[in-house]
Amino acid sequence: MAENQKQNYLTHPKGIMSWLLTLDHKRIGLMYLFGGIIFFFLGGVLALGMRLELAAPGNDFMSNETYNNVYTLHGAIMIFLFIIPAIPGALGNMLLPLMLGAKDVAFPRLNLASFYIYTLGALFVVYTIIAGGVDTGWTFYTPYSTTSTSNVIPMTMGIFIIGFSSILTGLNFIATIHKMRIPGLTWYKLPLFVWALYGTSLVQITATPVIAITMVLLILERLLGIGIFDPALGGDPVLYQHFFWFYSHPAVYIMILPAFGIISEIIPVHSRKKIWGYKFIAFSTLSIAFIGFLVWGHHMFTSGQSVFSQIVFSFITYFVGIPTGVKIFSWILTMYKGQVSFTPPMLYALSFLFLFTIGGLTGIFLGAVALDIHLHDTYFVVAHFHYVMQGGTIIAFLGGLHHWWPKTMGAMYNQTVASICCLGVFLGFNGTFFPQFLLGLRGMPRRYATYDPQYAELHNYSSFWSGILGLSIFIAIMNLLWSLRKSNKLDPGTNPWGAMTLEWTHTSSPPHPHNFEEEPVLEHGPYDYDKVIVEPTFKK
Amino acid sequence: MSEHHITPLKTYLVIAGALFCLTAITVWVSYFDFGSLNIIIAMGVATFKATLVALFFMHLLWDDKKNLTMFIMSLMFLGIFITITLLDTGFRGGVNPEVEYPINKRAAFYDSLPLTDTHGNPVDEHGTDSHEGDEDHH
Ligand code: HEM
Ligand SMILES: [Cu+2]
Repeated sequence: MAENQKQNYLTHPKGIMSWLLTLDHKRIGLMYLFGGIIFFFLGGVLALGMRLELAAPGNDFMSNETYNNVYTLHGAIMIFLFIIPAIPGALGNMLLPLMLGAKDVAFPRLNLASFYIYTLGALFVVYTIIAGGVDTGWTFYTPYSTTSTSNVIPMTMGIFIIGFSSILTGLNFIATIHKMRIPGLTWYKLPLFVWALYGTSLVQITATPVIAITMVLLILERLLGIGIFDPALGGDPVLYQHFFWFYSHPAVYIMILPAFGIISEIIPVHSRKKIWGYKFIAFSTLSIAFIGFLVWGHHMFTSGQSVFSQIVFSFITYFVGIPTGVKIFSWILTMYKGQVSFTPPMLYALSFLFLFTIGGLTGIFLGAVALDIHLHDTYFVVAHFHYVMQGGTIIAFLGGLHHWWPKTMGAMYNQTVASICCLGVFLGFNGTFFPQFLLGLRGMPRRYATYDPQYAELHNYSSFWSGILGLSIFIAIMNLLWSLRKSNKLDPGTNPWGAMTLEWTHTSSPPHPHNFEEEPVLEHGPYDYDKVIVEPTFKK
Repeated sequence: MSEHHITPLKTYLVIAGALFCLTAITVWVSYFDFGSLNIIIAMGVATFKATLVALFFMHLLWDDKKNLTMFIMSLMFLGIFITITLLDTGFRGGVNPEVEYPINKRAAFYDSLPLTDTHGNPVDEHGTDSHEGDEDHH
């Protein structure tokens, strides 16, 4: 063990170039994490700026033009630079080969290339910000986006480039899952996080090319005036929305499926119980990925699309609820009669169950075409997608970070602080976004810097709690970073939660540079808590 | 890739020959006018050629069937996108009865009334506007 302690991927090999040119999936994962957190911070600051402006009616803090820029950048950064790349890029890269017992992903060089493509795209976005921002909203709807004088081209170019990173990562993961499993690790013995990444990757490679071509068409229309979207030139502005949502609805599953995977790992481990309905969860992942391709028109109920399509899209949207419900009930049944321990990762998982359920159910409301005519483009929609994206994906991401932190970083954070922060995130989140459901029901439209006085109380309330939310997330991340100080090293044999997937049982914490000293031999399934006892071990 | 299929040169040549013939056919049929079938025939031949290329030149016929599945899936998604988008443009405005059943201003019901254009301005028997230059007259 003593020699082992020196040989881990964090310290070996040394030097800045060994990081920048690394082919090690774990280091690439950390670099994604680093990039993701930077943009999470930036997006968060923009969000708090908006809440500050909205704390009271009137333009007290920023002009309408500034506000337009701020919400556009907030949305685009959070979605394209943080949520979509961060979970597959950071946790997926870090864990996938470890969970498969593999030395690395199938194409390590491609993996590094994906990271640099992401960086290049991010530079375009940073340039957009420096050049004065963009004010179209993260959806870039025509005709405004073809006429706006703000920096639409660099921004959409950035998104175009980041798309390739997404596609290549998806391709890499699919090849890895097919080809790199150790003998005996059959499909039904895979941890559910791997299934989730598989579903995500499928969506990434099938949907992302469409956003790429959409951005290209938009740029061409702006530069050369080709008539794809402009009716005066024979185009159709609603076609833009078809293009955009054909990607962006599946993209919400790129965001949520990995989160589902994380929750499927956290809950059985911290309940010390075999997962309930393994195959249900695995196949609901694939069916969500597929149904996700058939419902995009529910974002377009007021766009003037044909009534026939409205009915078809509204109808199919309800079907999304089925596989989603299957998962929620499976997780609840997994906890039933388990030994649930309220560790920080588990607290995040429980928050996820609560918040995601609200988000998913309000999604069904919005899928009902008659109701959506009233609620579209109000704060109700804003609250819905924050419940699923922040209450779902980001909470699961934080839970996953806390769960795998001792594994990947070889250090344990202060668990009391982490739990208090989780509580702060939970309360702050509900305080911020629940009032927005009410605002939306009362007709408060989204994307405005000012509002009528009757909305003031709820907005004020929302702004106050957003401060608590931001602070809690900030402290939670600082708490993680603080654990990295020198005196806080864990024993490499640590398995603090008593988990039984390969990354916990067969390699040290932090892992060896080549993952496993010898090829692991599979002794049990990922959740066999009914058959084998893995004691939690936690030593400094 | 457990087993590697070696394709005989002859197969390649036969397929290449077939592709040339099909190209010739595309050119040849362009001299005839089949009306609305024109596009279907042209696309049909092109699709057939693409299938040959995918199956033989891209080895999808002999490769692991997963690759073929992926390929067909991508076509299926393209199909979904185009079909459902056309459900929109094909039926747009369908909620307004006058789109499906355009108002016939010459129907018997209107015989007792003076003919009007879509703005309610009177028109003469031949459907031309009898009022000129009085747009701003209310
Ligand atoms: C249970 C399944 C879900 C259903 C039925 C659903 C339904 C809907 C509907 C109908 C809308 C359109 C509302 C409108 O604009 O009027 C919408 C908006 C949205 N949803 Fe969901 N949703 C679900 C889950 C999710 C998930 C899991 C995410 C992301 C992680 C998500 C993210 C979004 C976003 C970002 C928007 C708004 C986009 C915009 O206009 O800016 N939804 N959802
Ligand atoms: Cu959607």
